[in-house]
Amino acid sequence: MLTEIQEGKALNPVVKYITQEKINLYAEASGDFNPIHVDESFAAKTPLGGTIAHGMLNLAYVSEMMTSAFGRSWLSGGKLRAKFKESARPGDTLTINGKIDCIEQKDDVSYANCSFECRNQKGETIITGEAIVKFSSGRK
Amino acid sequence: MPDKAISYEELTPGYKFPPATYELSDSFVSRYLKAVDSAGDGFVPPLAITVCAIAAMTKSIPLPPGTIAIHASQELEFFKLVPIGATIECHIGVAQKIARGKMSMLILELEVFDKGNEKVQSGRATIALPT
Repeated sequence: MLTEIQEGKALNPVVKYITQEKINLYAEASGDFNPIHVDESFAAKTPLGGTIAHGMLNLAYVSEMMTSAFGRSWLSGGKLRAKFKESARPGDTLTINGKIDCIEQKDDVSYANCSFECRNQKGETIITGEAIVKFSSGRK
Repeated sequence: MPDKAISYEELTPGYKFPPATYELSDSFVSRYLKAVDSAGDGFVPPLAITVCAIAAMTKSIPLPPGTIAIHASQELEFFKLVPIGATIECHIGVAQKIARGKMSMLILELEVFDKGNEKVQSGRATIALPT
């Protein structure tokens, strides 16, 4: 977890390598077996040209970064807004970066306003978004 | 689980999917953590809960085979820690349906409650579908 919650502070990045095996595991866990995720021959014939990872799998990596930075404050007081810009594919390495843009205080509660993005190894943006974490001022 | 599928045309603003109940068992959470390549911290990851809510919805919509649904955006808010083994109830409704050329944007609102009827999570998903 972050030892100090400060404006401008970068969150520890999360780096994940996407494989078809991970996508298949996610399909099993989530019950989402849409062939665009798991059927390589079907996906090859679509405009996407191949299988893609579930958007919620990529978003899980964002949540992992937030959990690692803010711990239980994220799990019980987090809020996010994400846009899925591009698809992640098997063979991609995703890097999730985030930072604390500003801290707001209301009564005894502080809010860390963060921005995040997930990019692949080519620098293409897969997800962008904002997150807010509520924490007690004593945690600062 | 919802036991009745409805047609895509019936999904109009205000439509509520039948609530779905899930037990967030140790085996489910373990499978989820393995899939997202994460160690976990003794609680149910909030996005594992979202996955249950989305599964409840997708199982209710009989999309033609091979339909590519694009998850365009997601908003989520987490209200409380959920222990492994907890039971949750997922409520999903259609907030908006917007036709855009050959695509339709379906905006869904979700709310998840625990056994004590306390809100655990809420959110909004935008799904793009070919019409």
